[in-house]
Amino acid sequence: MMSVALVFAYGLATALATGLGALPFAFVRTVSDRTVGRLNALASGLMLGASFGLLAEARRFGGWQTFIGVILGVLFILAANRFLEERHVHPGAGSAGASEGKEGLRRMVLIVTVMTVHSFAEGVAIGTSFGGGMALAAFITVAIAVHNIPEGVAISAVLRSNGVGTARCAGWSIVSSLPQPLMAVPAFLFVEAFAPALPYGIGFAAGAMVFMVLLEVLPEAYGQGSAREIGAITSVSMIAMILFQRMVGS
Amino acid sequence: MLLPMDPSLTVLLYASGAALASVPGGLVRWTPGDRRHAWIGWAHALSAGGMLGAAFVLTAVPEVPAVPAAVGGVLGVIFIVLSHTLTGAGSVDLSRPDAGDPSHGYRLVLIHMLHACTEGVAIGVAMAVDLSLGVFVALAIAVHNIPEAVILAAATRDLGFGRRGTVGLAVLSNLGQPLLALTTWVVVAALPSALSWALGLAVGALLNLVLTELLPSSYREAGSKSIALVASVALGLVVLLGGVLP
Repeated sequence: MMSVALVFAYGLATALATGLGALPFAFVRTVSDRTVGRLNALASGLMLGASFGLLAEARRFGGWQTFIGVILGVLFILAANRFLEERHVHPGAGSAGASEGKEGLRRMVLIVTVMTVHSFAEGVAIGTSFGGGMALAAFITVAIAVHNIPEGVAISAVLRSNGVGTARCAGWSIVSSLPQPLMAVPAFLFVEAFAPALPYGIGFAAGAMVFMVLLEVLPEAYGQGSAREIGAITSVSMIAMILFQRMVGS
Repeated sequence: MLLPMDPSLTVLLYASGAALASVPGGLVRWTPGDRRHAWIGWAHALSAGGMLGAAFVLTAVPEVPAVPAAVGGVLGVIFIVLSHTLTGAGSVDLSRPDAGDPSHGYRLVLIHMLHACTEGVAIGVAMAVDLSLGVFVALAIAVHNIPEAVILAAATRDLGFGRRGTVGLAVLSNLGQPLLALTTWVVVAALPSALSWALGLAVGALLNLVLTELLPSSYREAGSKSIALVASVALGLVVLLGGVLP
């Protein structure tokens, strides 16, 4: 019983680390259109870099499982997007400002959903890592916790540019990681049942994240800044994220 | 897929093959019209996904030290930004053969020549890691060369070039691919410590090409949903195929 509590505590610690990603935004007072574009580019790069890490991880288990997971992730975002469009955005209704606000809301809901979905796979990773001994579990937990901080930055970048306050950015970042403690416990208790699903799950998370970036975040960024600036920020933050994951992982 | 021959010949053969993939593209007689723009957008999205996939396969090479590779990556980004600024080609819309400006076609040729050089480095560095990985990256770049040649041919036809001229220019603009592939391969073979730098450079340049040029122009042609779909599935396929390699 003690160990179940420990697994949960480890998972919770990684979730709280995500909230740290909102910290830099406490120092940003006003957000201009140009800044919004840059923040979206930063978020795109971090998420694309993170999905490269996920793909590398999933591919170790099997290429086809990863590919099927990626396709399912793309379909999931398509379905979620359609669902949100039907609920929130009615073309022609309200003023231009109101529909723009709804667009922003849809984007925020999508990014929090995508990040929450990908936390399930990370929660399973934490839980199953306890099967390899305490040292491995501690290492994986620290790795995921550190890796969560830039993900918190990505979420906060999108939320903050839509006018959400810093404390709420931190709150939503933590919420997006709550599946980690929640999934870690069952994954720890039923390692054998969860392990075969991992490549599908990680592939799913990567596919959903890439598709979300290409569908929503990047097109918005290109609308807010020159393609050259957006492209350079996205490329460099993507490289930084890949480097970061290699350093934490090795 | 690999023929029994000297490795340097393999590098040259496949990189030249990639460059020659522009021949069928150069023969397509494409005139920009409203409906056909979507087609060219999807072709760009396909190559964007393919090139992201090629970048992924290169970043996933496990034995490469991460820090020099990342520094090389940033240098690759800077190289593309600088080369565009210095040639004045930064504002060229890659998917439009005509921009009402007679120098547009020539700028397009110039910009494609610069791209081809970084693509050549990517092929060469992948060959240096593993020959079959290099063949794979060469294939991804060959696929990308076809729609590129279609647009280039439309632009050079506007400049008054005949069929031979348009195809010739399309192939010529890709000359950097075999040249830099072989040079990179030779340098890395002689100086193994250059591998991580060259690999990073290639990845950074590929990423920046996709994010600065291919994606923005494809969004303009076909809208974000179909572009996101084509590029994501292409990336997934390249990751799948790349996983077959050692």
